[in-house]
Amino acid sequence: MRLSPIFHANPVNSCHLEKTMKRIVSTVCLLALCSLAATAFGQDEGMPSSAGGFFGGSFLTNPNLSLILNTFAYTSNLKNDELGTRAIPGFTTQGTERQKGFNIDAAELVIFAPVDPYFNLYTNIPITDNAISLEEAFVVTTSLPEGFQLKGGKFKSNFSRLDAQHPHAWDFADIALPYRAFLGGEGLGGEKGIQATWLPAFPIYAQFGAEALQGENDLMFGGNARSGPRAFSFFAKSSVETADDSTLYFGPSVLFGRTRNANVTDGAEFSGNSALYVMEAVWKWKPSKQQGFILQGEYLYLAQNGNLTDNINANVDSLKRRQDGFYAQGIYQSGRWRFGARYDMLEAFADSFRRSGAQQDSGNAPWRTTGTVEFNPSEFSRIRLQYSNDRSGRDGKENNEWFMQFIFGIGAHAAHSF
Amino acid sequence: MRKILIAIFLSLALACPAFAELNVAATLPWIGSLAMEIGKDKITVATLVKPNQDPHIIEARPGMILAGRKAGIIMYNGLDLEIGYLPLILESARNPKIMPGAPGNFDCSRFVKVLEKNTAVDRSMGDVHPLGNPHYHFSPANVLLVAEGMSNALAALDRPNEGFYMENLRNFTERLKERQKKWSAISLKGKKFVAYHKLFEYLASGFGFQITNYVEQKPGIPPSAAHIEGLIEDMKANKPDGILTTAFYGKKEAESISSKTGIKVIVLPADVGSEKGTGDWFAFMDQVLAIVNASVDYHPQ
Repeated sequence: MRLSPIFHANPVNSCHLEKTMKRIVSTVCLLALCSLAATAFGQDEGMPSSAGGFFGGSFLTNPNLSLILNTFAYTSNLKNDELGTRAIPGFTTQGTERQKGFNIDAAELVIFAPVDPYFNLYTNIPITDNAISLEEAFVVTTSLPEGFQLKGGKFKSNFSRLDAQHPHAWDFADIALPYRAFLGGEGLGGEKGIQATWLPAFPIYAQFGAEALQGENDLMFGGNARSGPRAFSFFAKSSVETADDSTLYFGPSVLFGRTRNANVTDGAEFSGNSALYVMEAVWKWKPSKQQGFILQGEYLYLAQNGNLTDNINANVDSLKRRQDGFYAQGIYQSGRWRFGARYDMLEAFADSFRRSGAQQDSGNAPWRTTGTVEFNPSEFSRIRLQYSNDRSGRDGKENNEWFMQFIFGIGAHAAHSF
Repeated sequence: MRKILIAIFLSLALACPAFAELNVAATLPWIGSLAMEIGKDKITVATLVKPNQDPHIIEARPGMILAGRKAGIIMYNGLDLEIGYLPLILESARNPKIMPGAPGNFDCSRFVKVLEKNTAVDRSMGDVHPLGNPHYHFSPANVLLVAEGMSNALAALDRPNEGFYMENLRNFTERLKERQKKWSAISLKGKKFVAYHKLFEYLASGFGFQITNYVEQKPGIPPSAAHIEGLIEDMKANKPDGILTTAFYGKKEAESISSKTGIKVIVLPADVGSEKGTGDWFAFMDQVLAIVNASVDYHPQ
């Protein structure tokens, strides 16, 4: 057992001495541990009036820890196996993973702290029934000059709005339809890469950003393309205060890269280029603690060109897609209650899906309407009832879904962005 | 296209006037007001929270982040009052000058004698502040301590104007001493109040009255019906001198209790500028004490 390099550097390294030293070192270690424990639990003694620290009230020895439980009960008029295979033809072959009955979305473990005066480190580890995954683990610089900031590691891209948020921060139990259609049920998800952003000291708020990402999202890029980074993004966000108590926040962005996947249509592999253009806008009105209103919408437009290779006879067809989708949602808050409505639709203006030049007709434009009622006992707990009438299956069948969702958070959790 | 973009950037960059003064970002109105007392025309103050907003539930609006980006110093209340938005502002502002540990990161509570430091708390007790009660802007003694610290912080960042800041601090101290003579004539000793939220502990400790009960059983959590019932019984028996609250935090609930107990509601300004005639901190304290005093004087006993 190596105890310390100093010990091994000692030339008079007799066995007896080694034992004594081991005993001394282990005693010292034990004492150090005890004193650490003492400072961790008995920190109030002799502390200055403010513990300070980047996130306030924290101790040097421990990172900030929190756990967010996101769980829901679910039912639908469709059967479990129908739900599992209910794709959006022309967009994705993936169904949803929800089961009728009790579901756990995840227990998200969040750990963050400043690394030193130059970096903050964040990790987000969702623990599900049978898996632990690393959704995010990244550092952010805190001391670059002139409004620049770098982020590196695995993180959720800022190229759009819902994508940058964790599922527990969404205003609905599930992601908006255009996201599911273009990126999957979880959105783009955490991607390995780097991000650079710039907030210039302009008279109005304007932030500019660029990202280089590995591009592992199954629908948009696919993990089996040969070399990375395969995905890149550019975005701009701006904001104006429309009144003392209301704010408008908006911005365009684009995510583009090499794609190679098998999720566009059944029985064929796609290889080509994809670009997803997004416009996001949100308006928040918050006149008091008791009342508030959030109006939010995003428009997504996909341009995809490449080849489809049939899995069986290896026939190659060209594929050209120009498809779009949007969602619009409103959330009204009164006291501890919130009421939400959402409408989402695909192929609103663009519905081109050309296989070897021939337009493929997948059926009527998919759409869905959703309503929610929430009760928030405190800012750390949320109970949400959600109903959706989903007509995205393009098979004439409606999916009438009910969610009863519960979200609880304990520990120190960093504030959510605007 | 690129040339047009560059031209837009340049014109925007040039449109920002290069202020010679020190840019101060203050989270709360009273902090901004105090900074103006010390810095006067040598500083520009951007106050992040509006006077009629509840400082407990603010969201970090992009405009606040931009103010942080431009600031030479950020001044905040501390004691975790701004924990829901300040860390996000600090990180998103991308401004090393205001990072913790830098001279431009000014935590007012560092200079304050803090009340109600809680040693063992958890969130089952509601939205408690384990570092102590953060509402010390009702305390003249503490505000003076903050003003001193603030003057030193401004002087450290702007040495050429050190004399100016210290002169303004002397004036502020003189004015405060004069007011305290006036305020000390107000006798609230032995008076008992019920309060909606734990907002007025410093006022009570500074002016010798007692807060015997709270409408909120747990801070930040709306009270249960059972608690209100018990409180009404308690108030009927003990006849406190009034229910202290502010216009935006619990006024409606306090009025409902008042109608059932006959105990009057005393609505105090929450911060500098939240009511008419509270343009600076002195006017704010004058109004707070005048309202409490008047309500006690006219109490039918």
